[in-house]
Amino acid sequence: MISLFSPQKLLPRHIQTFEAYVPSRPDPELMKMYGCSRLFRLNNNENALGPPPEAQEVLRGFPPKAAALYPSGDAFYLRHALARKFNREPEQFLVGNGANEVIAFVIKAFCEQGDNIVTADKTFAVYEWVARFSGLEARLTPLRDFAFDDEAMLARMDERTKILFLCNPNNPTGTYWDRTRLCGFLDRVAGRAVVVVDEAYAEFVEARDYPNCMSLMETYPNLVVFRTFSKMYALAGLRIGYLAGATEVVDAIRRTCIVYSVNRLAQEAALAALPAEDHILSTRLMVREGKDYLHRELEELGLPFISGEGNFLMVRLPFSDTLAYRKLMTRGVMVRTMTAFRFPNYIRITISSMEAMEALVTALRVILT
Amino acid sequence: MEPRLTVQLTLKAYDVLLPVATGFVEKTALTFGLGKKEALTLALATEEVFLYLCHISNPETELEIRCRSNAYCTATDFLFEAEGFQMKAFNLTAIPSFEDEASTQEAGLLIAARLVDRFNLQYVGKRLLLTFVKDKAYPEIGDLEPPVSMPLSRFFICRPDGEEIKAAVRMIRQYCRDRFNPPEVDFPGKVADIFASGELDAALAMDKAGHIGGALFWSRDVPEGVECIGPYIFHSESDPEMAVALLNHCMEEIARSGAAGLINRYSGTGLPTGYFESLGVLTFSRGDGTRVDVETSYRHLREDKGIAVWAHPDLAPFLESQYKKFVLPREIQWVTVEGEKKSSFSVLSAEMNRFGHWAVLRPLVYGEYAATVLADHVRLLEKEGFSSIFFEMDLKNAWQAHFTQGLLKNAFEPRLLIPYGGKGDLVVFQRRVQSEA
Repeated sequence: MISLFSPQKLLPRHIQTFEAYVPSRPDPELMKMYGCSRLFRLNNNENALGPPPEAQEVLRGFPPKAAALYPSGDAFYLRHALARKFNREPEQFLVGNGANEVIAFVIKAFCEQGDNIVTADKTFAVYEWVARFSGLEARLTPLRDFAFDDEAMLARMDERTKILFLCNPNNPTGTYWDRTRLCGFLDRVAGRAVVVVDEAYAEFVEARDYPNCMSLMETYPNLVVFRTFSKMYALAGLRIGYLAGATEVVDAIRRTCIVYSVNRLAQEAALAALPAEDHILSTRLMVREGKDYLHRELEELGLPFISGEGNFLMVRLPFSDTLAYRKLMTRGVMVRTMTAFRFPNYIRITISSMEAMEALVTALRVILT
Repeated sequence: MEPRLTVQLTLKAYDVLLPVATGFVEKTALTFGLGKKEALTLALATEEVFLYLCHISNPETELEIRCRSNAYCTATDFLFEAEGFQMKAFNLTAIPSFEDEASTQEAGLLIAARLVDRFNLQYVGKRLLLTFVKDKAYPEIGDLEPPVSMPLSRFFICRPDGEEIKAAVRMIRQYCRDRFNPPEVDFPGKVADIFASGELDAALAMDKAGHIGGALFWSRDVPEGVECIGPYIFHSESDPEMAVALLNHCMEEIARSGAAGLINRYSGTGLPTGYFESLGVLTFSRGDGTRVDVETSYRHLREDKGIAVWAHPDLAPFLESQYKKFVLPREIQWVTVEGEKKSSFSVLSAEMNRFGHWAVLRPLVYGEYAATVLADHVRLLEKEGFSSIFFEMDLKNAWQAHFTQGLLKNAFEPRLLIPYGGKGDLVVFQRRVQSEA
């Protein structure tokens, strides 16, 4: 028989047209390629302070032999700690291997072929990606004034809309919906679909009118909240995040959840990090100082910027963001290009230590001349 | 998007099966929308290939013939054991010989290659995949007046339908005729079909009354990137932000497609500042003998994660300067010749545009006589009036780098480096015109 095995023939149509995401190479490889001897990572919104001291203690003290044992399959102790912190029930939490995994859990739980999700065009890409490679339609609405547009999202809903994804505050614009706007939106969705509010950057928000979604779940049982330990708690390398919702909704999502996907070290470090209020205050202080400094410097450089909540801001450059990335890399500064976020010629900068901010500004001055 | 159909036939290499093979290709091509003449031509090309394969193969060997539909063309693939197949017949410069039976059979391949619009050869494991493409015949642009060009102070960006695409093409022909345009603008129906096939996408700037103020096209026919054509702004007094809006729209559409970069060879002077990096120019001849430099521009769509490329040491000064200029992290691996055996001949494909007097050579096989094969191609093309001759080298494929010395010897010079312009970076060589060479 002449025909050879062809994986392409076996792929569903929606996967045939989908291209794999290629992650960055490890830092040492990038440094070698770009010829820099140090690298400030301002691309992933990581916390330069590192994990809270309590979590660092856990990491240092982790007995190597414990790696031989399976972790708790459903992050038992962490869910109980989350329940105590937010005054909920442990069954209302579901822990995943980073928030990306819980996005997939929710989509798998509620959507089937022919369904759609609604989100914004210029936001965190993973909602759209997971929907598309699950064979679902991702309905994207343009931002209005750099924020999610509630009217547009409602207008795109139909009877096959199962989930609406809201990133609050939005990555990368830093805009957010206050409690009034969010509740108004939830009222109008009126339980017709699940509303996911991704609060990956909630711990950075200092605005007083930022909604407390954990307290809204009783009123709105279709509300699901995502949180992560990657950003404020600086455990990105361990991959741990969670969702919270009404018990009935979380029970439904749990059916598609992969148990044992969160490792033991991540669970223990997250458990230790959770009460670390001082760490949150220190980080917020670093972010505030970093933003103040960058606002001044960017204004002086004549570069427009969009800065809201969260440990990041966006800068508009007079040339291609991808060229800026390459030039900044040669000076040991790694930023996130925004073309893939549908903001051509913008870069997103993580607010980090003052040393890193100064290195960035110095490098920007050079590449702008 | 129209559905694409594939029909496949597997048969053994017995020449009595010839009517089955040719009938299959002709009927399928007709079903897929080719005209009678084009379908017959594809069947004739199939006849030559099939008979040749019967001649060189064990009759029990199976070969696969596959017809693939597209809105504007039909492709026929032949998949077969490669042993004994004389690829050199696909050189434009091959001369038919009827001295003996073998030569006569090879002449059949040569005829087949001339009958189709495009062909490609590639290895699939130990087998060869030969692809013939025959385009539908389209009428040249007629006398129909294009829509009136007027300044639009307020506009929105939208995806056009088939009639709007053809109207935009007519406007390009009428209002942007001084620009260097792709040859397809002479065939609005073909552009509409390519658009319907999904290989081409487009955005128009329109006002609420339905007037077209500008257009931009883009396609994914570059393996790792997207090629965009335009932006075209049809009235000089239109909103200056129109070009930016068209480009932003295009980039938003393709931002999450996984494409590495956006290439623009047909921008004229319409590119807004700050969006693209200029890679350099290629020189084309106009019908009146004057020459025009056409700029190629590029921008990455994602962060460059670095790649390894293969090159000949003779290309080092050019490559190193380009990689430095565009701050591209590349690990250059130099090819060597250390006494190893190579194929007994070299094969090139040639894309020709008679109206524009240009031709692009691309390597299919590297082997003996590379410089001679190149020289023969150049001689033939120049004799036929092709005054701009290019050669594209994909640095992802080490074997292609071996053509470098032959190119330099034949007065080709590297003009452009297009990041991810092929499967890897693409170097475009241009032969210096005779007075320079």
